[in-house]
Amino acid sequence: MKILMSVILIASATVAMAQQQGHLDVQTTVQKEEVIVNKAGEPETRLVAVEVVVPGESVVYTITFTNVSAEPADNVVITNPIAEDLMYVDGSAFGPGMDIQFSVDGGVTFAAANELTIVEEGEVRDARAEDFTDVRWVMQNDLEVGAQGIARFAAVLE
Amino acid sequence: MDTASFTFAPAFAWMRRAFFLCFCCVLSSPAGAVGTAVGTIIENTAVVDFDLVGTPLTLQSNTTTIAVAERINVTVTLQSPQTLVAPGETGRDLLFLVTNTGNGSETFQLSIDNLIAADDFDPIAAVPAIYLDTDASGDFNAGDQPYIPGTNDPDLLADESLSVFLVNDIPGGLLNGQIGRSELTATSATGTGLPGTVFAGQGDGGANAVVGSTGGEALDTGEYLVSDVLVDIVKAQLVSDQFGGSEAIPGATLSYTITVNVTSAGTATASVVRDSIPAFTTFVPGSINLNGAAITDANDADTGEYDATGTPSVVVRLGDLTTASGPQVIVFQVVID
Repeated sequence: MKILMSVILIASATVAMAQQQGHLDVQTTVQKEEVIVNKAGEPETRLVAVEVVVPGESVVYTITFTNVSAEPADNVVITNPIAEDLMYVDGSAFGPGMDIQFSVDGGVTFAAANELTIVEEGEVRDARAEDFTDVRWVMQNDLEVGAQGIARFAAVLE
Repeated sequence: MDTASFTFAPAFAWMRRAFFLCFCCVLSSPAGAVGTAVGTIIENTAVVDFDLVGTPLTLQSNTTTIAVAERINVTVTLQSPQTLVAPGETGRDLLFLVTNTGNGSETFQLSIDNLIAADDFDPIAAVPAIYLDTDASGDFNAGDQPYIPGTNDPDLLADESLSVFLVNDIPGGLLNGQIGRSELTATSATGTGLPGTVFAGQGDGGANAVVGSTGGEALDTGEYLVSDVLVDIVKAQLVSDQFGGSEAIPGATLSYTITVNVTSAGTATASVVRDSIPAFTTFVPGSINLNGAAITDANDADTGEYDATGTPSVVVRLGDLTTASGPQVIVFQVVID
């Protein structure tokens, strides 16, 4: 009897620790868009797994995050540095319930796309997709217990 | 590549060879980027910052990876102008530039086709007909290796170019003004096909190779024009930098001397030399000179001018020329930007 009780106690302690360490479950996937013809004979775009790309092709990154802890998470911010060989596809960032911002200085500062400027040859100009170094999604509300959020963007291989 | 053009109304007389010496422009335009190197691994990791019961926490996602495959693309670009020939001439060359515009190394097979529709005669391929510009001179000479399919198929790195000659003989019995065309095709040895066709594992380092927008193959066509008065045109270039040396640096002066000689009987009537100012240089005002006499830049009553419309060029009208006219020497200068 005693032994059984201790085993049960240990088991539940392990489960509790796992949840605390996990807090949020964060997964990133990389996919590419494929146009297929559906059963009705119409072209349809879907996302498929990708491992190999050639310059000029674009890929879609999707970050899925789930609150697996026992408390609501607030001030949730997802930051994704854009790889050097990739160029952000203008307008592709997506995230329901999130404010989307970009950085042009390697993630030091962030702002809305239309507020960013860079200095080129001594002149200040509006930043463009090719200048973005990072994407950031800022959740406007808390991520409730068990809730899942999604952030997505596309980039072209140079 | 910078070549002068010489036009004239042909007259009678027997033909000899027109001689063009083309000097490659000292400055080439910057090479276009043809993409991220094959085999590059691209990683992505997202970072999540959040607060839980007032405690700030940070988590990283998994890291995704994608690998860059090789894209196969090639271009072939004619470099020679319309080449003046005489019926029965042998060994007349046309110069082409083959460029690997993919992102990995690629071997290319070359082929010649003279059966081009809509021309007046078919040049006769010399044996061998394709030569690699081994000494990179831009001139077809003894230093150039014949292309032997399967033995010396050119291997080009991404962005690398190679000059190739097609060498043809001109049939007899042709009429003045007739045109014959000769076509060079470069084909990727890995494969060709619709863009997107994948050759698994056949790219650099065992990566996949994917056919690009060119289909892995390219061609261009050169032209021979039968002309009965033949003219020797030699263009020489002298570099003089602002430090007393001869380095082709920004600020250096390039002096061009174009010497025109009629080398056959007959008259080249109303002949005009038009030479475009090379890219990345600026014409030196007042530098045009014909046979020792200065020619004004303006389009006035004298025989030449600097024409800034379209591609800026120096234009000199030489009138009717025969062998008795002697050499016509045109000089002008440009400064490297």
